[in-house]
Amino acid sequence: MSALPQRALIRTQPRRGDAALPVSRIGNGLTVTGNLDTEGELHVHGRVQGSLRADRLVLATDGEVEGDIVARDARICGRVNGRVFALNVTVDSTADITGRIFHHTVEVARGARVDARMPWRPLNFFETLEQIPETQP
Amino acid sequence: MTMFSRNDKTPEPTPAAKPVATATPINPAPPAPQSAPAPMETRRVPAPSPHGTPSVSVISKALKITGELESTEDIHIEGEVDGDIRGVGVKIGHNAKVKGTVYGEEVEVAGTVIGKVEARKVVIASTGHMSGDVVHQDIRIESGAYIDGHCRPEYGKPDGKAHAIQKPATASQNYSSAKPAEPARSIA
Repeated sequence: MSALPQRALIRTQPRRGDAALPVSRIGNGLTVTGNLDTEGELHVHGRVQGSLRADRLVLATDGEVEGDIVARDARICGRVNGRVFALNVTVDSTADITGRIFHHTVEVARGARVDARMPWRPLNFFETLEQIPETQP
Repeated sequence: MTMFSRNDKTPEPTPAAKPVATATPINPAPPAPQSAPAPMETRRVPAPSPHGTPSVSVISKALKITGELESTEDIHIEGEVDGDIRGVGVKIGHNAKVKGTVYGEEVEVAGTVIGKVEARKVVIASTGHMSGDVVHQDIRIESGAYIDGHCRPEYGKPDGKAHAIQKPATASQNYSSAKPAEPARSIA
């Protein structure tokens, strides 16, 4: 872990004192226009227009994201219009995703609406991810 | 012409789609061996449970937001926000740092605000650090609080802010317009 560059977007190994970091919650009525960046866990029940970075991200059924998601673990039950960069992705049956899902492991539940390419990437892609790459549409 | 006859299967996903909670305990097992050890997986199970809890937004201390927040509910900020905040009840916690304007019905400042606060009821706690103006209707400032700015009881008044600025502005305008006008006439 120490070998990782400081600016790596995704921590491929979970932090030791991870439990100490409280969970952030974007409530149902909250709309964020801008970027969110946390080392901890983030639950999104509201709307985000912008990019998200978290260690672990839970996008709830009523959550909506217009933008990129960067996380180690991403669990998506809501709507995404954008790209997902996550080591482990779980797409729930209530999800509605448009865009791309860059993943190492992925799980898609039956019933999910996925209008996305889902490119697999090796571990070191996420380890060395310092900047979100620009991708062709 | 149908290549895939999947009509018989379609009713199935909808009943399965509804119970989100039932899907979660099944999920933890498969992705576990790849890169995620056990402790993380135990946390995964309770995660979707706060679905039903009253939705208050919490910006925890590890979260940094660059941009605007707009809510119809309460917001509790412990982290860092670079941008404006609009909420009903806004609590800026002890270690929080906000750069921007905070609008709300009730705003409590126990952390640092660099910018403005506009709310009906404002509380600056003893740990609060407020650099900027406060527009309020009802304010409480605890001993130990830091305030660098004006406190104006003009919340809710339609042109309260404009009022305060206009008075001296119009007065100075009158003087300035009057003075050049007189010499102009005398020259003419």
